[in-house]
Amino acid sequence: MRRAALALVYFAASAVALAFLLLPIVAIFVHVSPGRLVGQLSNPVVTDALLVSFKTTLIAQALVLGFGTPTAYLLASRRFPGRALCITLVELPMVLPPAVAGIGLLAAFGRAGLLGSTLRAAGVEIPFTQTAVTLAVAFVASPLYIRQAIAAFEAVDPNFVAASRTLGAGPARTFFRVVLPLARGGLVAGEALAFARGLGEFGATIMFAGSLQNVTQTLPLAIYAEFEVDFDVTLAISALLVLISAALLISLKLTSLWRPSEQTSPSRFGLLSWS
Amino acid sequence: MKGAPLQLTSAHRARGGLALLSAIVVSLSAVAGAAAGAAEHASRAVSGITVFAAASLTDVFPRIDPGPRFSFAGSNTLAAQITQGAPADVFASANTTLPAQLYAKGLVGKPVVFTRNRLVLVVPSSNPAGVHSVYDLRRAGIKLVVASPAVPVGAYTVQVLKQMGLSSVLANVVSRESDVRSVLAKVALGEADAGFVYSTDAKTVPGKVIVVKVPAWAQPKVTYSMAVVSASNNKTTAQRFVNEVLSKAGQKTMLDYGFLPIPK
Repeated sequence: MRRAALALVYFAASAVALAFLLLPIVAIFVHVSPGRLVGQLSNPVVTDALLVSFKTTLIAQALVLGFGTPTAYLLASRRFPGRALCITLVELPMVLPPAVAGIGLLAAFGRAGLLGSTLRAAGVEIPFTQTAVTLAVAFVASPLYIRQAIAAFEAVDPNFVAASRTLGAGPARTFFRVVLPLARGGLVAGEALAFARGLGEFGATIMFAGSLQNVTQTLPLAIYAEFEVDFDVTLAISALLVLISAALLISLKLTSLWRPSEQTSPSRFGLLSWS
Repeated sequence: MKGAPLQLTSAHRARGGLALLSAIVVSLSAVAGAAAGAAEHASRAVSGITVFAAASLTDVFPRIDPGPRFSFAGSNTLAAQITQGAPADVFASANTTLPAQLYAKGLVGKPVVFTRNRLVLVVPSSNPAGVHSVYDLRRAGIKLVVASPAVPVGAYTVQVLKQMGLSSVLANVVSRESDVRSVLAKVALGEADAGFVYSTDAKTVPGKVIVVKVPAWAQPKVTYSMAVVSASNNKTTAQRFVNEVLSKAGQKTMLDYGFLPIPK
């Protein structure tokens, strides 16, 4: 009896949660017909924003991978004083409100910012450029990758690394042939999360890079700019972003890189036992 | 052994408490004075309503009456929100077209004109690009920030530039912002070389920006109108707020903040 009541509570709560999470997404697609959606995709506002978004996100992700991977490996494989502090600092942008990130980037790289006069002397002005968008995306997205990459590197069995070294492979060869393939799943998952976060970046971008069609107006900024002008366009862009994000998530699941959930879900189900 | 320091502490605390008490009394009387001043200023404070108002009214509206909840943004954003059913009681726009459009759709009552404004060009006080007149904006490489053309101030900006035969300077635009205060902020920060705002906005950041006048012959008609939202649950109070803004005291406050009188 009590067990049945408990099961009912679980069921009701999950139904509410699922409906709540799904309703806004369904509403986007109900609001705009597929024909309208496809029609809006040729709207220059949408195509320009798509190009700006992909260009800046791809460059930002290249930076995140290039700088983030060695950083994560160092933090995962070495023990040194201040390591915990380093990890916390690297993760900080992840929990910062995006608006704070925007102010921080302005205060650092803006004309009147810390590095402003240095950059200016070198003939570089960052605000209002695609570089600004890229930096904003990299700033908010990289912690997601680095955090996941640290965990992935830490999960690599040190015995394999030791074996590789005793068999005569150098540290570089060991890293590329042993560590990287073993950590691959976690790295790809982290990168996918960072990519999704970067694609959705809004607050830091609008403050640091402004919003100009075909230059700095990314998909989320276009949603904001078009909200007052043409609600259909905002729905079309939103639907597009839902599809991109869903595709990202599904491909991640299909390549079964989402290991933690696969391991935990059967046992959690076992606990409930209302079958 | 234990008693002495304790006594010292309590004596200390008593003195501290006295200081605190007098501070409270002083600040209380200050608050009372301020409240009396505010009451004098706005005799019939309205509360329990939400006023959606153009970003340029951010400083002046709470001075006319601090009672309502205010939501300040680009007038077009607010109009879009009202169209989507946002719970507003009053809509105050930096133009007359948006309230007229909502009135035509039956979303707001009949709009009334309540003030006017003037468009100016602002440059950072350091004036990095050496902009001294609107014509200087023609120089290549100037970082000009404007509001999006959907925002009233953005539309006025396009009008002024067209009037002056300077539409080509729009090529120097580096960002289109969602409201006038965002334009002002980017110029006041020194990130942009110049931006078009209302003269009343420029006054809110004294010392941070230099005002470059737009010639009188090129000035657009910047007219503000407001209306009670049809879906409001509290139309009587909403109308009272509108009346307050139109009242002699309300209009005087608007003038104090640099707004222009209602056209006769």
